[in-house]
Amino acid sequence: MRFTLVGLILLLATPAWGVDLPPDASVSGGKTMAAKVIVNSGRLAWTPYKRDLGRWLTLSYQDRRATPEPTPFEMKAPTNGDAARGKALAWQWCITCHTLPGDDWPGTVGGPMAKYKQFKHPDALVFQQIFDARIFNPNTVMPAYGTFGLLAEQDIRDLVAYLQNLE
Amino acid sequence: MKTLFSILAAVTSFAALAQPEIPYREYEPLDQYEPHVSGDLKLSGSYQYWKDPAKLDYRMAGNPDENWKLNWKFMDPPFNQAVHGGHFALDRGEKLFKQLDAHHRFAVCLGAKKGKLKHLRAGYPRWRDDLKHVAGLEEAIEYCGARQGRVLQNGSYDNSAISLYLASLGNGQPIAIDVAKGPLKEAFERGRHLFHTRVGAFNFSCSSCHTHNIGKRLRGNVITTPYGDAAHYPVYRTQFVLQSLHLRFAECNLDTRTQPLLPGSQPYTDLEVFMTALTNGYPISVPAERDW
Repeated sequence: MRFTLVGLILLLATPAWGVDLPPDASVSGGKTMAAKVIVNSGRLAWTPYKRDLGRWLTLSYQDRRATPEPTPFEMKAPTNGDAARGKALAWQWCITCHTLPGDDWPGTVGGPMAKYKQFKHPDALVFQQIFDARIFNPNTVMPAYGTFGLLAEQDIRDLVAYLQNLE
Repeated sequence: MKTLFSILAAVTSFAALAQPEIPYREYEPLDQYEPHVSGDLKLSGSYQYWKDPAKLDYRMAGNPDENWKLNWKFMDPPFNQAVHGGHFALDRGEKLFKQLDAHHRFAVCLGAKKGKLKHLRAGYPRWRDDLKHVAGLEEAIEYCGARQGRVLQNGSYDNSAISLYLASLGNGQPIAIDVAKGPLKEAFERGRHLFHTRVGAFNFSCSSCHTHNIGKRLRGNVITTPYGDAAHYPVYRTQFVLQSLHLRFAECNLDTRTQPLLPGSQPYTDLEVFMTALTNGYPISVPAERDW
């Protein structure tokens, strides 16, 4: 009974991913902290960062977590995507690396997306490329938006609808 | 009861054996790095344009497609060599250093031989017997300051200001760390491994951009070579006031949605060794200014 109680207290006191965060990560109370340099001071100030990043792997040697494995996802037809919403998502997530129609500052790390419709890729293939492109190329630099929990299934369906209609 | 314990112990040890020692981590090795700045000729090839600071072709700076080849990041516009925030930090660093070194204990602690400070910056990171590990200059400054009761946290303005002052005394000296043997070689190899290890929400490694996509665009920014980058730190940046190399790593981590580590942590020091070795032979150039 006593051990159950101690276990319960420990469980409640530990943040969801707190157990995994290495001691050399800049966190406080499970929250990601950013260092701020204060002029003429020997101390750093720490402020909560706008995003909590503790869910994902760090460079720490004490981080014993593994990279999520490449994951296939079979998208069921019909795609049912909202191309307008997909465009908004593309301008948020894709534009840094990919050239999108109407962009004056094109990214060139990824392939150009203008006239994407011409390639006639199946929707399920485009979905998989966004969900986890490592299935097609283990060395790709494209983030695995689905596997890493960055985009929901409907978000990716919307992106597929947008891309497949770029003429 | 004894039998129960034996069974439990056997099950536990079997479970421990079954656990993999090293978790699955995506890693793209690249072995061809040379611990000298000229190694860039085999990577991006841009070294030919920036190897001699006196012979820079400034016309390339005005061409968006060629600017990155200059790798002249410490002269980002609007650069004015005479007036920028780095000079204020330099003055502060000189004042603090002279206070701390009133009895020459601080310089000795940092490793200056016969009081000569000129070569200090070019020889860091180095193995320190007192710390029992390889340390960067900023970690040594924090440690030696603490021995005199002065708080100089790694990455803080005052710490970086002293580091900047010491670097300025060696301006023009080529970076020279020997990673051919011993603990520095081990740190270099760990740093190289980290440089290629994928982390964070985007599953990027440093090399995802800085070896595989050099010269390509991320919107308004063009990706540059990792060679020759460590000679101008700590650097004045309008957005970050004064930034040490470890704080730059933390910023890179945040930019790629990765939980950063603390300045002075071993992985950042190993990356510093790797980056500094890739700057071997390139002259120290401070105080420098970087954009935002």
